[in-house]
Amino acid sequence: MSTRSLPGLLPLIALLGLWQLLGSPDSPFFPAPSSWWPALFTRGQGAKIVPAVLDTIRTFGLGLFIATILGVTLGILIGVSRQVGRAVGPTFEFARALPPAAIVPVATLLLGFDEPMKVVVVVLAALWPILLNTSSGVQELPPTLLDTARSLRLSRTRTVFRVLLPSVMPAIVLGIRVATPIALVITLLVEYLTAVNGVGALVGEAQRTFQPARVYALIVIAGLISLIVNSLVRSVEDGVSRRRVGDRL
Amino acid sequence: MSVLVALAVLWEVLVRFKIAEVQFLPAPSEIAAAAQDEILSGEILGRLVHTVGVTALGWGIASVIGMGLGLLLGLSPLAYRYSMTSFEVTRAIPPITFVPAALLIFGFSLKMELVLVIYGGVWPVLINTIGGVRSIPPELRDVGRMLRLSRLETIRKVVLPAALPSVLVGLRLALSLCLVLAIVAEMVGNPAGLGNGLISARQALQPALMFVYVIVAGLLGVALNSTLRTAAKLLLPSNALKELAS
Amino acid sequence: MDNQPRYECRKLRAEVGSRRGEPRRIVLDDVSFAVAPGEFVSIMGRSGVGKTTLLRILAGLHEASAGSAVRFNGEDVSGPPEGVSLVFQDYTSSLLPWRTVAKNVELPLEGRLPIEERRARVAEALEMVGLADRADAQPFELSGGMQQRVQIARALASRPVALLMDEPFGALDALTKADLEDQLLEIFAATGTTVVFVTHDIEEAVYLSDRVLVLDGTPAKIVAEIPVSSPRPRTQMLTRESTEFLEARHRVHEVIFGT
Repeated sequence: MSTRSLPGLLPLIALLGLWQLLGSPDSPFFPAPSSWWPALFTRGQGAKIVPAVLDTIRTFGLGLFIATILGVTLGILIGVSRQVGRAVGPTFEFARALPPAAIVPVATLLLGFDEPMKVVVVVLAALWPILLNTSSGVQELPPTLLDTARSLRLSRTRTVFRVLLPSVMPAIVLGIRVATPIALVITLLVEYLTAVNGVGALVGEAQRTFQPARVYALIVIAGLISLIVNSLVRSVEDGVSRRRVGDRL
Repeated sequence: MSVLVALAVLWEVLVRFKIAEVQFLPAPSEIAAAAQDEILSGEILGRLVHTVGVTALGWGIASVIGMGLGLLLGLSPLAYRYSMTSFEVTRAIPPITFVPAALLIFGFSLKMELVLVIYGGVWPVLINTIGGVRSIPPELRDVGRMLRLSRLETIRKVVLPAALPSVLVGLRLALSLCLVLAIVAEMVGNPAGLGNGLISARQALQPALMFVYVIVAGLLGVALNSTLRTAAKLLLPSNALKELAS
Repeated sequence: MDNQPRYECRKLRAEVGSRRGEPRRIVLDDVSFAVAPGEFVSIMGRSGVGKTTLLRILAGLHEASAGSAVRFNGEDVSGPPEGVSLVFQDYTSSLLPWRTVAKNVELPLEGRLPIEERRARVAEALEMVGLADRADAQPFELSGGMQQRVQIARALASRPVALLMDEPFGALDALTKADLEDQLLEIFAATGTTVVFVTHDIEEAVYLSDRVLVLDGTPAKIVAEIPVSSPRPRTQMLTRESTEFLEARHRVHEVIFGT
């Protein structure tokens, strides 16, 4: 965050300040911000925080990773072959529009309450932006590029790894950037709905045991994870696009 | 479409002849039967109307708030400078985590569902409106000045139409998000609608019925999406539609 | 008209700051010239020398530094003056894509003239640029040359006393460019409007203008002022072969390239 964007924090700071002044630490709805941090550690619950954060990050990371591999592979297949694209079109249209929350009960029923179930749900939700960006990236490639590869008599694998993938890279990275917040939201959602583990499960627990200050503290933690993860992905994206600009110069 | 049918047939054969046995996995024929019962009893229709109603209402309110605020932030550099970071930071917090807070504050109620849907829907509209207004080519602003249009005229005739494609993208993203949040709220908070139907079927261990609700939710998503896309086509000249693709 | 110049710049100085926080750069310094009513003046120079900045100052879109005098019809320019139209180089982003050709041309007249008068003016302007039959087309359905004609028609619709043009034909192919140059000369002859034309094409500047001003240096000033005495009406073939044209072209070339 640059210093130029700092003045923009004023309303948030003002809101929290006002909340602090008006809210009491025992309010069942809006406990004062100063009571949030201590609430993380009351009743010996402090030890749960770090493992929960790690669980959330693991599910999120694994889910996004698998979604990327799967999305890029399928995206290239669909992008290269019109027939495949047409055949799976309606199926994908449906799967993409399906609210991810609706998958959760089915997933728990079929797969049980465990880590793989969490990852499967995250993959199913985060897959689409990557897949669609990859396939449209492939479709929009200038035909000259593939003709060049053919006239240079490159092998199929070489064409894919030396020509196709690098040219589609910005589209893939864009897809990953769109998929990142989705993957995180769905991770927290599954955790909240199934209480398997992670930050989402802790928020649910805090809510069910009526610890509002703890709920707000965990919301802040979720927000921090999201800010860090998103800015990481954005800097990767900047790196990729800068390298491409550099190539052209 | 044929792929869908082929998948359904394969699924039916696998389950019917116990080639692949997965516990709680109903055959498509069982799902169809469950769907028939549920449709005849009117249960689905009632839940569908509830979810669609809350989604549409919440989305409508979120759109008005998002566009109004977005226009203000997009047009006023001062407002932008002194608030944008606050919005960025707040937006980063996954809206799902506000579900527990909303439950604590509003209890198991329609109000809680509506508040969540509105909160989630505001963000895409807001961000895309700001983006649309601020990314208008500087040449276009110069055109407005050169033709000596008044500020109001410039906003009405140049800024708003130029930002429209981006705003429409925001509205479409918001609609899918509103649907997701409505279903989540119904699953954990407000005992009504499709989300509650899903959870009830899950708890009653009626997998076929559960699949019925999953399919209905998916179809609803498709329907809402294509409705908005058609509306966008009517609103925009065809060259601007490219931006709306995907 | 009286003897008052249409445009008058004295000791004009201009700065541009590329981004906030960066130091502002002086691009023009001590630029003085005048444009007579009904005159066609071209401003030439290498790219990046400040031609566009100068034109934007004349258009009232860019503020000149303190101490400069910029007058249009004897009045100081602050903001776009009434009676001045500007044609941008980039026609794609200066036409409103959601409006038809006619509606784009009508834009500057809306709310200022009654509807019948507006229709008449739009028809007249489209007639002048030869687009009367494309009034209901969308801009993106037209070729680049046609889109630029729409922009010129929009500039003409308000019947300007001065027409400022920023490399209007720079992005067009040679044939289209020649067509549009001739059309511009016809419009210039028919309306008697004053034209200030920015270009980096020597031939174009000499072919169109009564006078060519050459900007050079950092910060730039006017280093030469070359009158073109070719008689009007001019035609692509005859004028370009005439001694007056060749002589003027030679001089501009000399000033810019130093030989």
